[in-house]
Amino acid sequence: MKIIAVGNSFYGDDGVGAAVLDRIRQYDVFPDAELIDVHTDALALLDHMARGEKNVVVDAAQMGLEPGTAVGFRPSEVRLKIKSDHLSMHGFGLAEAFDLAAQLDRMPADVLIVGVEPVRVEINKGLSDEVNRAVPRVISIIQAEVQSDG
Amino acid sequence: MSTTAAPETGTNLNIKVKHLTRVEGHGNIVVNMKEGVLEKAQLEIVEAPRYFEAMLKGRSFHEAAIITSRICGICSLGHQITSLKATEQALGLEVSEQTVLLRKLLIHGATMQSNILHAYFLAAPDFLKVGSVFPLVETHPEIVIRALRMKRLANDIGDVVSGRAVHPITPVPGGFTRIPTTGELMELKRRLAEDMYPDLLATVETLKALAGAIPQFERETEYISLRSDDDYAMYDGDICSTDTGRVPDSEYMKMSNEFVVPHSTSKHAKVNRSSFMVGALARWNNNHDRLGELAHTAADALGLKPGCCNPYMNTIAQVVEAAHCAIDSIAIIDKLLGDGLKEELPNQDPTQYGTGIGATEVPRGILYHEYTYDRQGRVIAANCIIPTGQNLANIDDDMKKLVPEIIDKSKEEITLHLEMLVRAYDPCISCSVHMLDVDFIE
Repeated sequence: MKIIAVGNSFYGDDGVGAAVLDRIRQYDVFPDAELIDVHTDALALLDHMARGEKNVVVDAAQMGLEPGTAVGFRPSEVRLKIKSDHLSMHGFGLAEAFDLAAQLDRMPADVLIVGVEPVRVEINKGLSDEVNRAVPRVISIIQAEVQSDG
Repeated sequence: MSTTAAPETGTNLNIKVKHLTRVEGHGNIVVNMKEGVLEKAQLEIVEAPRYFEAMLKGRSFHEAAIITSRICGICSLGHQITSLKATEQALGLEVSEQTVLLRKLLIHGATMQSNILHAYFLAAPDFLKVGSVFPLVETHPEIVIRALRMKRLANDIGDVVSGRAVHPITPVPGGFTRIPTTGELMELKRRLAEDMYPDLLATVETLKALAGAIPQFERETEYISLRSDDDYAMYDGDICSTDTGRVPDSEYMKMSNEFVVPHSTSKHAKVNRSSFMVGALARWNNNHDRLGELAHTAADALGLKPGCCNPYMNTIAQVVEAAHCAIDSIAIIDKLLGDGLKEELPNQDPTQYGTGIGATEVPRGILYHEYTYDRQGRVIAANCIIPTGQNLANIDDDMKKLVPEIIDKSKEEITLHLEMLVRAYDPCISCSVHMLDVDFIE
């Protein structure tokens, strides 16, 4: 299994992915998982997502839910907004990376996205209390995903 | 050079491109011509300023590079290396030759990655007259796959040498906490020779077919970059202007002269003229004599000549540089392996506490960091001068010359020329945040 964090931990709740990886490392929750932080380089998902493996991607996501809510979903279950106006070297986001992966036939079958609704995304503010409290919930979602395979 | 006739009296033109696409951060292009007189042609920067310097105050010398490297996703390596150099100079920390070679390798990886992505994903859609990279996946999948393969190898240089690609962790003040293994370096060398080299040749062929789409526009410009006696200066060197020659990096304030303008939240800069340019084209113009055979072959094939003053050719200069970085990376790996890798502890024993300057060529141009430390090794003053800020006045000056030259074209064509101009500079207006916007399908 690969657990891939996307986001900039110096931008408030955008750092939720990195915080989840830290917690997993701290308690060695998934000893067999490969933990990867692609930071703001979402395009690197194309390099790291692997066929024949479970791929979990953790990112802050605007879902219109209560701040701090963590939700696991499949790429096919949602419409990821392609934000072409953010299409730049830095701003090549998760939606664009998935779209490219699909078009290039590189999208693994087994991908779970765990999105966390942010409170604030501002430089150097650290995680909000709400999103900090969501970190264990993200880990439970990943655990349920692992167990669902028996 | 474009020789369009002067605009007829009475020509009116109003262009406002809000949130220009395929550049980093938020910028607007505003052009206003009234009865044949150009009243305004400028790039407005509307992004909130980010106050790096304030974030550094009071931090220990161990933290400065970590903080600055995390401010910008893709520019992180450049900030990190520049920050380390400033800290080392301030604290009198000598570094080994091996450290310098590994840092040069890191810079090559980051430059290749940035230049390749810009040429393929941000600039090429303009040359092909498609709005983004996505249509290219359908029409030219092999080109997109090649671009991604090149980006991955460039990334992997960062992963192998620094621990991770985007936010490097093993480079610290005084050296590295971990160095790559001989096997890892040999594998990188193999991939550079077997994969990157043919991909670079193919890139040149692809761009050659598109070179006709590069606008022919020229404006006499002052170009500023680092220059070194030893190599194509990226890691180190004097500050060199095409107008006035070389000065040591201690004179960086004079060579970057920031000032505030009303239409930009980022400062502008000027030295000998109303503006100057930094970045790949500036490096080419100052240092083309330091490039090797492959880079010159690429430059010849793509029509890039010394003394080029067409800003649109910056993208071509980036590709030429990528070729240089690949070949020089192989040479650096050969040198490291030839000398034998040495396990070294980083030198973190300050011999002084004072002020230090780091000047490095990052993909978009010279980046300066300057720090002053107190006797506890804590930052008491910091200054960072970012390449994009140095280029903003030059972009405005280009627009002021360009608009009257192309005024006979349609408003759409003029707008595209202006957008392409700004994109050619590859500006990093801010670092973006990865936010996912999700609609659940009912």
